[in-house]
Amino acid sequence: METLSIYAPKLVTNKEYIASGHRACSGCGEVLAVRYVCKALGRNTIISNATGCMEIISTPLPETAWEVPWIHTLFENASAVASGIESGLKSLKRKHGYTKEVKVVAMGGDGATADIGLQSLSGAMERGHDFIYVCYDNEAYMNTGIQRSSETPFGASTTTAPSGKNSLGQHTQKKNMAAIAAAHNIAYVATSCSSYPFDIMSKVEKAMKVKGPSYIHILSVCPTGWRCASNLTIKLGRLAVETGIFPMYEIENGKYTLNIDLPKLRPVEDYLKLQGRFRHLDKDITAEIQEKVFDEYNKVKRLAAGNKAK
Amino acid sequence: MKQGDTIEIRWHGRGGQGAVTSADLTAMSAIHEGKFAQAFPSFGPERRGAPVLAFNRISAEHPIRVRSGVVKPDIVVVLDPGLVTLINVVDGLKPGGCLIVNSTRSIEDLQGEFSGDWTLAVVDASSIARELLRVNIVNTTMLGAMIKTAGAIKMDSLTEPLEEKFGARAKANLEACHKAFDTTVIGKITVGGQKKVRTFAVAKQPTWSELLVGCAVTDVGSTKRFCTGDWKSQHPVWDDKKCIKCGICSLFCPEFCINQQKDGYFRSNDFYCKGCGICAQECWTQAIKMVEEA
Amino acid sequence: MTAKRIGIESSLAIAEAVRLANVDVIAAYPITPQTHIVEGLAEMVANGHLDAEYIPVESEHSAMSSCLGSSAVGARTFTATASQGLILMHEVLLVAASLHLPIVMVVTNRALSGPLNIWGDHSDTMITRDSGWIQIFVENGQQAFDQVLCAFRIAEHQDVLLPTIINVDGFHISHVIEPMYFLDQEAVDGFLPPYKHPHALDPDKPVTMGCFAMPNLYTESRKALDTSLRESKKVILETWKKFGEMTGRYYKEVETYKAEAAETLLITMGSYSENAMEAIDKMQSEGRSVGLVRIRLWRPFPYMAFLEAVSGAKNIVVLDRAMSLGGPPPVCSEIRSALYPQEKRPQVVSVVGGLGGRDISPDDFEKLIDIGLGRIKIGDTSETIMFGVRE
Repeated sequence: METLSIYAPKLVTNKEYIASGHRACSGCGEVLAVRYVCKALGRNTIISNATGCMEIISTPLPETAWEVPWIHTLFENASAVASGIESGLKSLKRKHGYTKEVKVVAMGGDGATADIGLQSLSGAMERGHDFIYVCYDNEAYMNTGIQRSSETPFGASTTTAPSGKNSLGQHTQKKNMAAIAAAHNIAYVATSCSSYPFDIMSKVEKAMKVKGPSYIHILSVCPTGWRCASNLTIKLGRLAVETGIFPMYEIENGKYTLNIDLPKLRPVEDYLKLQGRFRHLDKDITAEIQEKVFDEYNKVKRLAAGNKAK
Repeated sequence: MKQGDTIEIRWHGRGGQGAVTSADLTAMSAIHEGKFAQAFPSFGPERRGAPVLAFNRISAEHPIRVRSGVVKPDIVVVLDPGLVTLINVVDGLKPGGCLIVNSTRSIEDLQGEFSGDWTLAVVDASSIARELLRVNIVNTTMLGAMIKTAGAIKMDSLTEPLEEKFGARAKANLEACHKAFDTTVIGKITVGGQKKVRTFAVAKQPTWSELLVGCAVTDVGSTKRFCTGDWKSQHPVWDDKKCIKCGICSLFCPEFCINQQKDGYFRSNDFYCKGCGICAQECWTQAIKMVEEA
Repeated sequence: MTAKRIGIESSLAIAEAVRLANVDVIAAYPITPQTHIVEGLAEMVANGHLDAEYIPVESEHSAMSSCLGSSAVGARTFTATASQGLILMHEVLLVAASLHLPIVMVVTNRALSGPLNIWGDHSDTMITRDSGWIQIFVENGQQAFDQVLCAFRIAEHQDVLLPTIINVDGFHISHVIEPMYFLDQEAVDGFLPPYKHPHALDPDKPVTMGCFAMPNLYTESRKALDTSLRESKKVILETWKKFGEMTGRYYKEVETYKAEAAETLLITMGSYSENAMEAIDKMQSEGRSVGLVRIRLWRPFPYMAFLEAVSGAKNIVVLDRAMSLGGPPPVCSEIRSALYPQEKRPQVVSVVGGLGGRDISPDDFEKLIDIGLGRIKIGDTSETIMFGVRE
């Protein structure tokens, strides 16, 4: 679908809601994902941003890269701040003649979402606030220097779970945030990746139509933390999807749809070998990862197929 | 304990180029020699590619107590050739001090950039690093040039810290150091010898009473004033003959700085481009090449 | 104006004040002894007596975070908490002040773990002393009702825009039924102008809130905040004046009780002040030269008013209902630092008491003052006295 749309890039709005001059690393995939999300959201948006790379690279006082109303307060509370924004607007509408239609969006990295901010996200989803949560998952605490998070994949070497004589690096499996979000019985959950702008934008547009909470989990390539060349950002995101390591799917009212269903997955090796964080892995571990990827991918596939069968 | 005989060094590099490692190795070598030394980075939110600083203090005589940034260095080492024209690298450099630059430019050419009573040393560290280390990371290579020009540490005392830090790769790094030592060209900068005077912008910061309530910023999109183009060490060049005007380069640009011109072809805005190379990598018709900065 | 006199539990009177203030958003998490306030508000919302969004958050951290969000879009915002809840909010409190979001919060003061203790003292609020919030202490249910209304006017004033805490002693005030005078809606509407934030989050006027500041601007940002907090006193005094003119109930930053010409002054904050008054009455009737000074405005600290209140005293006995483990207790250190530059300084003795709900009865206050004076007499005021501790 991506390769078919050869001239499609020009169909994307020129309007940017995050400006150049931001301080993201050269080749940052996360800021690209933010850009696509913002393009889809448009101007009538209020963003509550968790502490992290996107906050630090965009708002050094007295400057800001943002062109939509934006608030950063702390690390673990973006969803709670969004809850307050949404409730405040509701009250203003009911009581004080406020008429604007505003989409409230909370965003954060994988640490802010799956670790320190999981409670506030769960609370906000459970309470049913009308907001979109976007997780930009670059698979570690990149802002503080590549420390492991619960979204760091098995086998990756990070500064707090480094590979060594007695360790292969991360020894746990990546936390499945999409399933956790879906367990809150919210209407829309999706996964996407920074290399798929049209996929991101269409998913954000869908989420905007949902009344109540929606959750989008975007794998965002980080050349600095993944220890790869800065020009490989897009390629690596594609490989994450094409190897089945990061399947892109939607869960609409509990029903799974696999958005890119490949007849044959590329070997995980193709993805792993381009990244310094996996350089230490031997054949056995790579095979183990391969097997796990098949398992997890097939799980999603079965869920999607079961959905079709109905 | 007098603090007067301390040598202060300022390293200029880019995030990811390892200027901090240069400073670390210098301090460890000095300590290895029995001297007192400090190495420290400038702590900031700088990212990969952004100009960064690292510092040393070395004293043969006494423990070092000062923990402030180095503002009047005796030695300035510039790891990235492009920084010479971007930043005032000689800011605060003491009279009689040394400026050591990685560049392919001739010493005569570089002499024309500065005015002051300083020693200038030039070495093509990038070529040495590419040849001996197979990567354009010059943080260890430049140590050789620094030792030759300023002698703040001895070459021999580098061996152990290098081995500790680089293990098997220490040998090649030491070789690069030696080659830099041998090929560094040393000359003089004179007061008034400057051919081209450059001005470097100093951002004016607000006073406390000029800040808006709650430090709100209403000047949205104002990072546009900030030049991230300084960060790049390569830039994209378009071959319009191959270009099919699809715009994929623009879509995938993390600086949002590739725009379509009136003729339909695309160009990057040099003021923001960080030289990541995504556009060249992703171009379907290979119409874009990344070219090293001069 | 006509005012109805009723008997009501202070917590419910606080809820009534919040209802009269016509708040837009309440975000709260239950904790003893704050629960009656938020239950009262939830009931008003459920019954349609108050048109507001009640966010039943999953923690106090999220309660205060939600308050940031709603206040930042320009909605009048209230919360209440105590003890562990307040300190779980702590990092958010500092942001509320630095973003100048005028949230009003009632703290039903309670001791801190550990060991766990649900009863009253001032440990919780003392930990938030430096957070940039305006902090006001009350001594009974009427004052709680009044000060909650005043708090909205102070906090949301365009020259202030700072979050405000009303400290209401847990149980000793929060759970007590007392006679009170309420205000009618018309009076409150006249007293409280609508809330507007000059840089509210609004797609038509985009703003960035919460930039990070590097070393070259952090100092300026703190100076700006500190100046706002210090200068808020002007608006606080104006508000109390206006409130007094409306109700006949006047408030001051430092209140005195029979303090004129007293040789010895007891310093208190909060509900035990009324117990202390009983003791002062009795001691004065016995010919003792003792009086009482109560600090109502804790932040910004009213140095001048305090110095004036104690200017004639020879001895000061300060009661702290909180400790600073390993150092002098908070109110006493504040007072000592206020007095230090004075040429003529009274003797100051520090007493800690009333921790974790331990009662200090009027009789106890007599003993407390005497123990303090005893120390002054022997010239040993260096150590804090722990009143009533079993040795």
